[in-house]
Parts: sequence; structure tokens; C-alpha cells
Amino acid sequence: MSDSPRSHIFARVQRASRPAEAEAIQRDLDALGTAPRADLPAPDLATAFLANVLKNSGTVDCVANRSGVVKALAEYLYRHFRSHRLVAGNDPNLAAMPWREAGVLPRFGTVEPGEPVALSYALLGVAEIGAIVTVTGKANPAANNLLSEHHIVVVDATRLVPDMESAWKRIGEETAKSGRPRGINFIAGPSSTGDIEGKLVYGAHGPRNWHVILMGDVPATALAEAHTLAGR
Amino acid sequence: MTSTVPPLAGGSDGYTRLKQTSNTFLDNAHAALQDADRIQRRDLMALFMPIVRDAAMDSFGQFEELRQQVKQVKQHTLDHLDHYLAQFEREALQNGNHVHFAGNGDEMNSIVLEICQQHSARRIVKGKSMVTEETALNDYLKRAGLRVMETDLGEYIIQQAGETPSHIVGPALHKSAADIRKLFLAKHDLGERDLAETSDMVGEAREVLREHFLKAEVGIIGANALIAENGYSMLVTNEGNGDLCANLPNVLIVCATIDRVLPRATDATAMLRLLVRSATGQAQTCYTSFYSGPRREQDIDSPLETHIVLLDNRRTEILASDYREMLQCIRCGACLNHCPIYAAVGGHAYGWVYQGPMGSVLTPLLTSLEQSAALPNACTSCGRCAEVCPADIPLPDLLRDLRHDETRQKLSSPRWRLGLRLHAWLARHPMLYHALTGLGIFSLHLLGRRKGSFSRLPLAAGWTSQRDFPAPEGKTFMHQYAAMQREDQAREHKAAHAAESPPAPGPEKSARPKTKRTRPARPGKTRARTDQAPPGKAAAGKTRSRRPAQGRAPSERIEPSLGTDWAGEADNDAGGPDER
Repeated sequence: MSDSPRSHIFARVQRASRPAEAEAIQRDLDALGTAPRADLPAPDLATAFLANVLKNSGTVDCVANRSGVVKALAEYLYRHFRSHRLVAGNDPNLAAMPWREAGVLPRFGTVEPGEPVALSYALLGVAEIGAIVTVTGKANPAANNLLSEHHIVVVDATRLVPDMESAWKRIGEETAKSGRPRGINFIAGPSSTGDIEGKLVYGAHGPRNWHVILMGDVPATALAEAHTLAGR
Repeated sequence: MTSTVPPLAGGSDGYTRLKQTSNTFLDNAHAALQDADRIQRRDLMALFMPIVRDAAMDSFGQFEELRQQVKQVKQHTLDHLDHYLAQFEREALQNGNHVHFAGNGDEMNSIVLEICQQHSARRIVKGKSMVTEETALNDYLKRAGLRVMETDLGEYIIQQAGETPSHIVGPALHKSAADIRKLFLAKHDLGERDLAETSDMVGEAREVLREHFLKAEVGIIGANALIAENGYSMLVTNEGNGDLCANLPNVLIVCATIDRVLPRATDATAMLRLLVRSATGQAQTCYTSFYSGPRREQDIDSPLETHIVLLDNRRTEILASDYREMLQCIRCGACLNHCPIYAAVGGHAYGWVYQGPMGSVLTPLLTSLEQSAALPNACTSCGRCAEVCPADIPLPDLLRDLRHDETRQKLSSPRWRLGLRLHAWLARHPMLYHALTGLGIFSLHLLGRRKGSFSRLPLAAGWTSQRDFPAPEGKTFMHQYAAMQREDQAREHKAAHAAESPPAPGPEKSARPKTKRTRPARPGKTRARTDQAPPGKAAAGKTRSRRPAQGRAPSERIEPSLGTDWAGEADNDAGGPDER
């Protein structure tokens, strides 16, 4: 470890900084208030979330309960692959799904080369940015989020938050027991690039398709309204 | 440990990253203006990027409030950087990282190389990081025999082509799809194929790079923010390449500069709101990730060891200088996308790592003014960059201050300095100024009366070599202005005398509005704050003192130089006293 550049840098930073007690600095910071968030496209949280997922080039499904989830998954898999093969993270919430009802039998673990679909269970959904949040761990192998062709995410409607400030608060609560996770991933869309002549192409490195299944008590009109709001 | 590397020089493989050519900006620009194909692409980007950015701002809502809030937090952080940097270090160590400090680029490069060598690593995958461009890390590692792969598609393309980035956000946007197709056909040994579509090329890069991701021993990424309260670093990408670098190899190295620190996680995501909209016009990037350290007990993948290298490379000098505001920069590239100079000549003309207005400020500060004296002059003072800058950095002011420094350090030509001194002296003697300009304008009017223009003029070859100079109409602006004022007063006088009758709703307007610049408002574009002083006053105040730290509205700074009309006005001229 290089000690001398460290002390040199700190000395220089200190000379250029304004001396103050930690408490006073904290008070000053608190006095600056909070940043405004983006306007939500709809007053209803679920509608806003779904609309923003669609705007982020995701696709969406809305289901009432776990049976709805496996049914929607079966349909998605059949539509794209004419099969019911699926890799899911080792998440108790996914293990507890009534898989047999729809004839889908996932393999639990990490996506291997040649396996096109991965399923995740989101810690949160953030309406403001149309993103889902996962934290690293055995429930979310990096490969599942980042290497599959299709990434499907189940979001419980009770886990929707309006903005990033409330997301941080909720992440703090959810991970209070397990300690700081190694990684916190906000995912908002399929992997994309505009690096060749500014043309948007999906599937730069990661998933080409990003599908969100919102599960729970959601207004009946939410899905249709979200499509209207997103214009697709 | 062998971390000695031969001095850098332009290699035959096209690696020229450290050979700075900022001082030949004019020649570089001239060369750039010969390529019609690239000019067309730059024009398109200059048209398209502001539109998507504006649309993103508009859909946000309170964008100006956001900009001011984030700016205040950033200034607060810089004011107390000793506190926040120490807090970040403490938290990062607690999270299980190795934290290193590097005074300059070489120190950072050797720290990174040492880590790679400790792990006997040969293959490195790298996410996009302007900091490592700044230190020419790739060259350094390559010289030591390591294989470094850039994995951001744009960076990968220019690495394969042996070029430098032309844009901090879209490094390969100067290349056409046809260029890239040719490059991939030559570099990837994959047999006969078409690569006709953009998606084919993206797909091919995906296949090639995935191999590298799966085999690499070390991943290197940058950071968009370092969060003091919890020791996390924020990584923002659309491709997901940075996350693959951060998750798949056994060792992760995060390279960042000390000015990336922000107090809280919410500050990082507030800044993100500005960043994505300003950079690409998106409402959110696809992958926004926060990494704290090495693998935890419950993890099944991810790096076993993580390092954070914190680089100074003159940031502490900038922090202690009048250019501190430049450290508020969030590297979104909006100033490039809105700069008429950048649009005309492209990023390579700037001759180093950073381009456009932010590059013209940063390059002299990070290298030296001697090596890049041309850059602060590559500015029309149009003020668009300051208007759109999400960090609210007064870029035209900083550029002017650098020109000021150039003059003080005698880096500009003696003739230029003499001219400026003369002009400044005249500008402070308005009577004489008006008399002389009146005489000059009148003589030019007489001389050019017949033809209406001049094809040659002494001292104005810079103008007349390219186009004719129109002959003046006979009176200076100030003469005309005074005449209108007199007319105005006469009319008021008359009106006062005829007070019993109601004022005639005549079509004639008062002279005053005519003297104001009436630029048509561009909806959604002008987001100047409302605390503007009248242009004349603000400019006059500005010329005397160096920049005050706060409270400047972007538009007031740019007024004087926008219309030549202002140049004749008393003691407030844009190129005047402050240029000495």
C-alpha cells in the first residue's frame, strides 16, 4: 500500500478544504434538502412503474398472484422458444412458486452457455426510473442478470417504491440483517448500445429482451394505461 | 516486482495516447474539415443530441431545481473534501477493499500493474474509464506484456483501430458503420461474413468479447461516483459491460479520481438524474450498479479481491485554484454535443483525452497551459455549454480565465497581447474610444461607399482572406443609440406638454427595445436563472474582479460577446481588460 502519496494527497486536500467539525458538516448537508425526482407518468404507482418499464424498452405482464406468474412465464417461454426451459436464481420466493400448475420446471442456479432464459425475483421496483433492483448473492448470480438472452424479473407489487430516495431507504431496511450487499443492481432495460453511428441496438453484451412480471393487487386498468402512456 | 516500463512513444501499432497534439489545434481542425463524410456525421449528432437532451429535461419536471440542488451538494463536498474523502476511505476499507492513493498517472498505472502481477494475471477486461485514458493505462499494461481488452463497444472499436476517443461518452462516434465493418473483418478471424447491419457488428463484438469476459483474471472499471457514507462506487452503463468486468474476474480494480466523492447514496442517484438525461437523453441507463467490495460469505460468484485506486493527478491543484468549479463536472458530454466548435472539428482536434468545452478547460489544467494554449481559444463564447451544463459550470468564464492566464504568462503572441492592451486601454477611455471608432467607421464608410464592401483591409486579413468586409453605413452603434435616445426624449417632452389629451397609441416604439438583443426564445433550451443583472452591469463588474464563486447566471456572462454592438459600449467589452 502506498502511504506517502496518501498523506501527500490528504495534506493538499486539507489545505484546500474548509475546516469544520463533522457535526457541522452534517448539519450543512442536511440543510441543502433533497433533490426533486422525475415526474411520474401516472399517479398510480403500478401504472407509473409499468409505463416506465415499457419506455425503457422492456416488456410487461400483470398478474394477480403466483399462479399467474407461472402461467405468464409458461406462455412467454412457449411464445419465444416453444419450450419450458428456464434457469432461476436460488431465491426462496422463486422456489415457492407453484411451478407444476403451468408445467414449467426451472433449473435453480447459474446460467450456463446455451441457456437463453434467466429468471430473477426483484428486491424492489422503482417507478421513477422503471427499474428493478437486485442485490448480489446466491439468489442473483451475475451471469443470470448479465449473460442470458432473455432476462425475466418478477416484481411483487408490494415492493414498488416511487423514487430512488425511497429505494435507498428500503434497501437499507431489507439488508439491515444481512449487512451491506456486495453489489446493488438497478436494471432498467435490455442491454443496449448506441456506439455505432448512434444507432440503438439491443443485446450489446447482456440480455436482448427484458421482461417484467408485476404480481399483486394492481388496478385492472394499469396495464392498458401504461401501454398508452408509453406509446407502445 | 517489476513495474518499470520504458518511456512512452507513439508506437507502430497506432497507440498514440500520450502524444498530446492540443497545441496544433488549428492544424488538426483544418485537417478535420477535409473529411466530408465525418463532417456530415458530426452535423447530424449536433442536431440530434440537443433535441434528445431537451426532450429528456422537459419530461423531468423541475430540472433547474435538481441542477441547483446537486450543484450545492457537490460544492459542499468539495468544500469538505478532506472529511468526505477520509470517510469514503474508512468505509471502503471496512467493506473489505484495498484502497490505494496515486499522486499522478504513473503511480496509478504502476499500482494497477503491481496488482495484476501479484495475481500473475495476463488477461484483463476493462470497462469504460476516462481516468485510465488520462493515465494511458492500457499502454502501460501492454508494455508489461498484459493483454487488456476494452469492453465498451465504442472503446473496443477505437482500441482495435488504434485510435483515441473522439467523445467522452461515445468514443467511436467519429467512425462510420462502414469503417467499423472493415475494421471487424480485418481484426476478427471469423471467415466469410456480411456484417451488413449494425446489429450484426454488435453481435460479433458480443461474441468476441464474451470469450474475454469468461477468461479474464482481472477486471478494471471506473466509477461515476464514490459514496462516502457507505464506501460503494457507482457504475453507470447501458451495455452491461462494466458489470461483467466487476462480477466475473477474480480480481476487481476500480480506478477513480478523488473528486468523484459524494456524501450519500441519494446524492449519487440525484446526480444520475442529471447525468443520463444530459449524456444520452435517456430517463435511466440500463445498468446502474453499486459495488462495495469483495465476495461475501453468501455469494457464489464475484471477485475475491477488490482494489480501489484513488487518483489525484492535479485535482488537488484545481481544488486550491480559481478553477475549482471544474471539479463539479460529471462527464456527461452535453457541452461537447452543444458546442459549435466541437460540432465543426470533432473531438480529435483537441489532441488529448477530453474534448469540447470541458476538454478545453481540463486539458490545460491536467497537462499544462503551454502544451494546450490553443484550446481555451477554441471558443466562440456563445455560452451554450454553460446553459446546458448539468453541473452548472461557467465554462465560457473558465475558458476566458485561461486565456487571461495565457496573456499573463505571455504564451500568446506579443502582437496579440499588444493589441489586447491597446484595446483594453481604449475601452477604459470611452470618449476617446467613441471618437476613434466614429472616425474609423466614417472613413471606412467614405472609402467603401462605391463598392459597398472591402476585399482587403489592413489589420483585418483574418477576415478579408475568407470573405469581403461590408462597408459601414457611416455611424457607429453608439451614435445611432444616442440619436434614438434624443428622439425618445423629444417625444416624451412633447407628450408631457400634451398631457391633457390621452397618449396616442402610435405604431412607433420607443427606442429602448430596439437596443436590446431580441434573440428569438428557443423553447425548452434557455434555462437561465432569473437572478440576472442587466447585461451591461454584470459584464462591467466581471471585468474588474476575478470570478466570484457563486451567483452567476449563464446568460449574463455571454451577453457582451454575442453582439458586436456591445463592444463599443463604454468599459464593458468582452475581449477587454480581463484579457491582459
